[in-house]
Amino acid sequence: MRTVLFLLLAALIPGPAFAANQVALDNHVFVERVLTDAEGKQRILLEEPKVVVPGDRLVFVLNYRNAGAQPADKFVITNPMPSAVRFADAGDTRPFVSIDGGKQWGLLSDLSVPMEGGTRRAAQPADVTHIRWAFQNPIPVGGTGKLMFRGVVK
Amino acid sequence: MMIAPVGGAKHRLLPSCSTIALLAALALPMQAEAAGTRAGSTISNTASASFDTGAGTTTVDSNRVDLLVDELLDVTVDSSNPGDVPTTPGATSQVLTFSVTNNGNGVEAFGLTTIANAGGDNYDPVVTQIYLDNGDGLFDAGTDTLYTPGANDPSLNPDQGVTVFVLATTPGSVADGNRGIVSLVAAAKTGTGDPGDSFAGQGEGGGDAVVGSTGADGQDAGTFVVSAATVTLVKSAVVTNSLSTADPIPGATITYTIVATVAGSGSVGGLAITDDIPADTSYAPGSITLGGSALTDAADADAGNYNGTRINVALGTVAGGQTRTVTFRTTID
Repeated sequence: MRTVLFLLLAALIPGPAFAANQVALDNHVFVERVLTDAEGKQRILLEEPKVVVPGDRLVFVLNYRNAGAQPADKFVITNPMPSAVRFADAGDTRPFVSIDGGKQWGLLSDLSVPMEGGTRRAAQPADVTHIRWAFQNPIPVGGTGKLMFRGVVK
Repeated sequence: MMIAPVGGAKHRLLPSCSTIALLAALALPMQAEAAGTRAGSTISNTASASFDTGAGTTTVDSNRVDLLVDELLDVTVDSSNPGDVPTTPGATSQVLTFSVTNNGNGVEAFGLTTIANAGGDNYDPVVTQIYLDNGDGLFDAGTDTLYTPGANDPSLNPDQGVTVFVLATTPGSVADGNRGIVSLVAAAKTGTGDPGDSFAGQGEGGGDAVVGSTGADGQDAGTFVVSAATVTLVKSAVVTNSLSTADPIPGATITYTIVATVAGSGSVGGLAITDDIPADTSYAPGSITLGGSALTDAADADAGNYNGTRINVALGTVAGGQTRTVTFRTTID
């Protein structure tokens, strides 16, 4: 009985997905709501939405933590863009991005899109299919951090 | 509701990382986006991390976040007439053309109404019917569908539009140049309101239906302009004779001049001038002129002819503000 109860609780509480080994990666999505207060000032609230509509601005937040006993080297976090979300920006976290489904990677400003006639145009945020952060230094034991990017519901 | 934590990565990233600025761009989507992600679909996000703790590369997935996409209620109405639609006093079944487009992301039916008395014009057109186009963009009462509110409200897919014809009668009392405005209003049947209002559980796919930036209703105005024209004919005659006097003696020639003046902003179509040759006079063959140019007597390509009893000059369509001058001669028997 206790086991059943525990399983139920585990299913009800949306906790971070702890991998059995080492590193936990926790994913939250917020929607930016702009409210105008009584003085006419605009304030941005971040809500955890159950539902969204086209045009909503979403903030994706990734929390990582090295819960293991060893430093985590060559640490890379990859987030494929949901197909219904258009990438907007990643604040100043300067991720590598892919615009071709994860084959090639680079800073958005360094990528270009082939056009008809052999020319190329500069890649736009809307072209992004994947986002990736590659860490230079190992994550020490107990180390944590946060990454974010924004997108708009298509 | 939960306020998101704000913070920075503790570790140096490649190429660099500092505090995350959550309050960067404040750009609201003010305009209804074209349809967008279909209502009822789910947006899922999962990230993954790979790392090496000395025993090879390990990959872990994050938790998955699922977001249901609600139905957004948005509609736009646009007048399809490039300018004012000309009408005439008393005319019936005068047509204004509109397009109604579902800018939402779910299938939605729209109720249609008209407003003809909102002011800003000279008269109120009398709306008699609304028709839904069969797809060819041209009004034809035989093939298009008469709209009955509540019975055949057009149901549109996301991004789909329908052409709507509004038929109106122009009152007989209107004057040349008067304008009459009719607006077509389309409103989502699920409901309308302020942007952000929602109708729980009424969205396509089981979510809520949320009023979009258009308020879930839209309207646009079409305008009739009365384009009337009137024709005035003035006929005069000049007599000349061999005595060089103006006496109408046998053998004298009478030159008739008929001036047709069209007034108003409209035009007159199929205008023709016909004049019988008076008794006791004989038509002078080949004497018809139009605007100073000679016309033949035969019924042929030119505009004039004489058939033995009368002259006729076809002027066709003459716009307001123009005149046409016809002359012919007869001889007193």
